[in-house]
Amino acid sequence: MSNKGMKKQVKKEDRRDRISAILMLSPVVFLLLICSIYPFLWMFRYVCYDYNGFSATFTGARNFTRMISDTTFWSSVGHTFEYAFYKLVFIIPLALICAVLLNQKIKGTSVFRAIYFMPTVISSSISGMIFTFIFATQNGILNGILMALGMGAPVQWLTSPDHVMTAVTVLAVWGGFGNYMLYFITGMNVISEDVYEAAKIDGANGVQTFFKITLPMLSPILKVVLMLAITGAFKDYEAIMVLTQGGPGNRSMVMFLYIYNMIFGSGLTNMTQPQIGYGALLSVVAAIIVGLVTIAYQRIARRLDDVM
Amino acid sequence: MKKAAKTLLLAGLILSLFMGPVFAGGSKESASASGKTVIEVWSEDRHDMEYVESKVAEFNATNTDNIQINLTIISDNFRNMLQMAFSGGTAPDVAGINAIPINMIADTGIAMPLNDFIAESPEYQKVNDPYNQIYEGTNSKNGNIYWIPTGMRSGVRVIYNKDLLEKCGYTEIPSTLEAYIDMAKDITAQGNNVFYGIGFTNASPFERLLEMVSEVSGIYYYDYVNGRFDFSGYKPVLEQGRRFFTENIAYPDQQGVDNMRALFSVGMFALWSNASQEAAVFTEQIPVQGFEWGVAEVPTLTGEVTGALETTPSKGWGIISSTKHPEEAWKVIEFFQSEDFLKGYLEAGYCLPSTDYMASIIDSSKTGRLADFALKPYETVYPKPPAINLSGNDYRTVFWNAVMGYVDIDEAIADLNTRYNEALDADVASGAATRLVISDYDPLHPDQGTPEYLTE
Repeated sequence: MSNKGMKKQVKKEDRRDRISAILMLSPVVFLLLICSIYPFLWMFRYVCYDYNGFSATFTGARNFTRMISDTTFWSSVGHTFEYAFYKLVFIIPLALICAVLLNQKIKGTSVFRAIYFMPTVISSSISGMIFTFIFATQNGILNGILMALGMGAPVQWLTSPDHVMTAVTVLAVWGGFGNYMLYFITGMNVISEDVYEAAKIDGANGVQTFFKITLPMLSPILKVVLMLAITGAFKDYEAIMVLTQGGPGNRSMVMFLYIYNMIFGSGLTNMTQPQIGYGALLSVVAAIIVGLVTIAYQRIARRLDDVM
Repeated sequence: MKKAAKTLLLAGLILSLFMGPVFAGGSKESASASGKTVIEVWSEDRHDMEYVESKVAEFNATNTDNIQINLTIISDNFRNMLQMAFSGGTAPDVAGINAIPINMIADTGIAMPLNDFIAESPEYQKVNDPYNQIYEGTNSKNGNIYWIPTGMRSGVRVIYNKDLLEKCGYTEIPSTLEAYIDMAKDITAQGNNVFYGIGFTNASPFERLLEMVSEVSGIYYYDYVNGRFDFSGYKPVLEQGRRFFTENIAYPDQQGVDNMRALFSVGMFALWSNASQEAAVFTEQIPVQGFEWGVAEVPTLTGEVTGALETTPSKGWGIISSTKHPEEAWKVIEFFQSEDFLKGYLEAGYCLPSTDYMASIIDSSKTGRLADFALKPYETVYPKPPAINLSGNDYRTVFWNAVMGYVDIDEAIADLNTRYNEALDADVASGAATRLVISDYDPLHPDQGTPEYLTE
């Protein structure tokens, strides 16, 4: 075949490949457009509107000025950071410890893995309801145990602003650590046995092995888990909605619960209505906040990589 | 070549699999296989489903107008579902729209005015007394009637454990809020952590007692004469209400409504308050165990009733404007609001009769404890204040936070006055709301004034 003919043939095949690629990609692109891009643009459309689901009124920059002076929203942002901090501080170490313990070659570990993972598959609204009974002041299971152990007065877990964050954090850790634990176990399974054997020959004890081998070699998984945990913690609201409805006195009101209340009109009274436009603006701001936190985390993680 | 064709075929197949469901569906057919005109009906009420479904089946089998009702119950997110269906061209012909704010159905044109249909239906007028059930801002706006209630939910009542009260030396519910709180305090003290004077839920607790105490004391959140929100009047009620917690009177937990009902039903506290739905709750859903329970009027600040107690008109049907069969849709509404349908409905105790005619027709001995919640002369429907776009918590949440001591009462009132009126002014300026003014407003007869809607 001549050089020209060969070029023509290559071009023809290229075009054919391109058409196939376009056709193969089109379902995914279509779904991306419909399920992700369009809703995002739809949300932006209402940022400058009062929209109650039935009628929309253009209000210019009013939603922005409202947001700036909306103390309930900004306090909910603060509560979200507080909640995320508590959750991460407890859930990651707990998941890691359990993963290390359940990764040992001991009989029955798979049963414990299943038990610890089970809360992850329970609907968060159901777990919220279960914990309502556990945390009840007067006839709650937790207070019953604490009183039997000699505690004087029952703790108002859900009705005291001093204790509600503890209750909410316990529920979040209970509901999520099994999932992260499995990620860690999966990561540990990838680490070669030879490395551990070499460490053993060198005389490393369990703690040294963990800090010098397991943890560094888990770092890629740890980074992913931390990222998931951070974004997850900032977006949590379902279980809190069932457990405390953001109370008492807005003490457990997190930003996505506040946004949900705005958009879906939870707790509507006679003269308030769903505020989809304002809620859309708050959603954009919340997304920016979560995005900034994620970027900050990634930068820190990169620096840690350099140090390690 | 063969490979390329296979690839193209596979890609096309994948594409069609994804796109297929997107374009599936098509237009809604409004005639059944038997040639009947199908009227789609949506309701958000699940509690009366059994009765309504049985009557609909009866109607479908016997009506001579060749109509078939297709009843769909949507108990969650009804407003949004209706709005989405209307936008998407799949709205029902008839819907129970009594719980949807009037601006969402009237200003948007979603519901059709029923004036002409009502005027031409003497039977409907006889049973439903529509012209005496027009509540401005609730079911009617600017002379257009969008639905007529077929029943009423009473205002809030005190529901009490007679045995516990007697055990503690009380035989009746005091008429003043102060005495009521004193009694609750005494019962809690005598209960010695075994039982308590009063219990509150965490679901809109302010609405279930203190707001209604305020109403019958002539205190309301909207100043109809000046067309402004005014929360200043609530201060004495909030100060009294705070005692429930500063003096450790209330049951030391606020759980969901059903949890608290269950605790009341086993005698954990003596006083509970809610509207007429409790009649069915404490006889069927969560039956009271081992004691007599009574129903009394809510106390007032001074012992005298100086304002109307708010009732809620219920079970009202409207025609959705996109219907292709308005005549048949009206016939369906006539059926739902017929004497035969309503007699069984009201005697089953689903709600109180809203007209004198139906009250005279039903056998009240069949309604059970609902009879204890019969409407009082000072109960009525308030004209709806403007629906506004409010930032932050609504007044019920803020006031309960004040009662619990999380916020200062004066600060709470100042905050609400500012936020509500700023939102009202902004909404009126943007055209999203109108300012309701009733210059001849009477707190004992709020429904009898002359409403005006101002655009400034």
